[in-house]
Amino acid sequence: MDSFQFLGLTFHTANIISITIAFILVFAFIFFLSRKISMKPTGGQNILEWVIDFTNGIVRGQLPGRDGSQLGLFAFTLFLFVFFANQLGLFLQVAVNGVDFVKSPTADPVITLTMAMVTLALAHFLGVIKFGFGGYVSNSYLKPFAALLPINLVEEFTNLLTLALRLYGNIFAGETLLKLIGSLAFSHGLPTMIVALPLEIAWQGFSVFIGAIQAYVFVTLSTVYISRKVSAEE
Amino acid sequence: MFSPLVLAAEKGFDYGDMLFYMVAFVLLMWLVKIFAWKPVTKMMNDRATKIADDIDSAEKSRADAETLAAQRQDALSNSHQEAATIVADAKDAGSKQREQIITNAQTDAQKLREAASADIEQQRQDALVSARKDVADLSIEIASKIIHKQLNADDQTALIDSYIEGLGKDDQTR
Repeated sequence: MDSFQFLGLTFHTANIISITIAFILVFAFIFFLSRKISMKPTGGQNILEWVIDFTNGIVRGQLPGRDGSQLGLFAFTLFLFVFFANQLGLFLQVAVNGVDFVKSPTADPVITLTMAMVTLALAHFLGVIKFGFGGYVSNSYLKPFAALLPINLVEEFTNLLTLALRLYGNIFAGETLLKLIGSLAFSHGLPTMIVALPLEIAWQGFSVFIGAIQAYVFVTLSTVYISRKVSAEE
Repeated sequence: MFSPLVLAAEKGFDYGDMLFYMVAFVLLMWLVKIFAWKPVTKMMNDRATKIADDIDSAEKSRADAETLAAQRQDALSNSHQEAATIVADAKDAGSKQREQIITNAQTDAQKLREAASADIEQQRQDALVSARKDVADLSIEIASKIIHKQLNADDQTALIDSYIEGLGKDDQTR
């Protein structure tokens, strides 16, 4: 069962399960690391604080001051979710009769487009909140001069597409190559297994790296887009 | 590249997945906020405040220590000075006392000498007086012995007469 209908909407089983698993992983991660919060940080609290410092650093790099401090939670959650979603498909892929059940949710363009859309919607929303609608329009589309309006309009769409498809492309390519190496391993018995195993290990390791980098890039670009909407352009 | 997207569009776009992701993400953000974000960031802020306070108080206690050290240094040099003053005072007092004692001794000696010389003079006078008296007594005795031997009746009468005469003259003159 590839997808099912509910309330007139189409749901993909693989995406629903994978998002839920990523959700549970992120929640378990923050839940078990935040059990003992003390003035002198120990163990899990150190990891958690390091990640929070890391994402706060990304936000502060783009948005120093009060605007940035409001986005810390968003960046933190987004980073953890994208990171765990990217890694999920590397360790666990369940497919029954050619139908996926568990994979990286970020290996689906619909999910990454949704992520990018949420981010950019937030950016536009914060822009309107900060400058009012008129100020938002002039700041986002008529600067540095009004003649750039068409380019600025196009840029909004390219932002959405590049943000989403960069993440999707990286993770989808990683998973596809993993599957290809996997099928190579089982194609001609033992010899191909021996050849494919180190390849698979190497590619998995590299994909872990790519997944982390892409999570970082996604969060960084998200804050860049938000900062461009909420800070006045010179 | 777009084939899954196109495929999805053919089957009806996956609005359900999008909705599910959005709900999941908002819910996750809320859970993260409750379970990790708020307590951890609060603790991080508390720690930052505490460290700032600690640095301030360390700065303050360092300044206090410096003040105390300066005070102690002052007290030390003051005590040196004080000790010097005390020693000088003691020397002064000692020499004054010495002077006093010497003066007293000299005065006493002077007095003693004077008393001694007065005594000697007195004794000399006494001795003189008693010697004179002795001499007078002796001379009277000698005289009486001489007179007793040589004085006869005539002479005695003549002597008495002269004596009475003398008395009479003395009365007149008086």
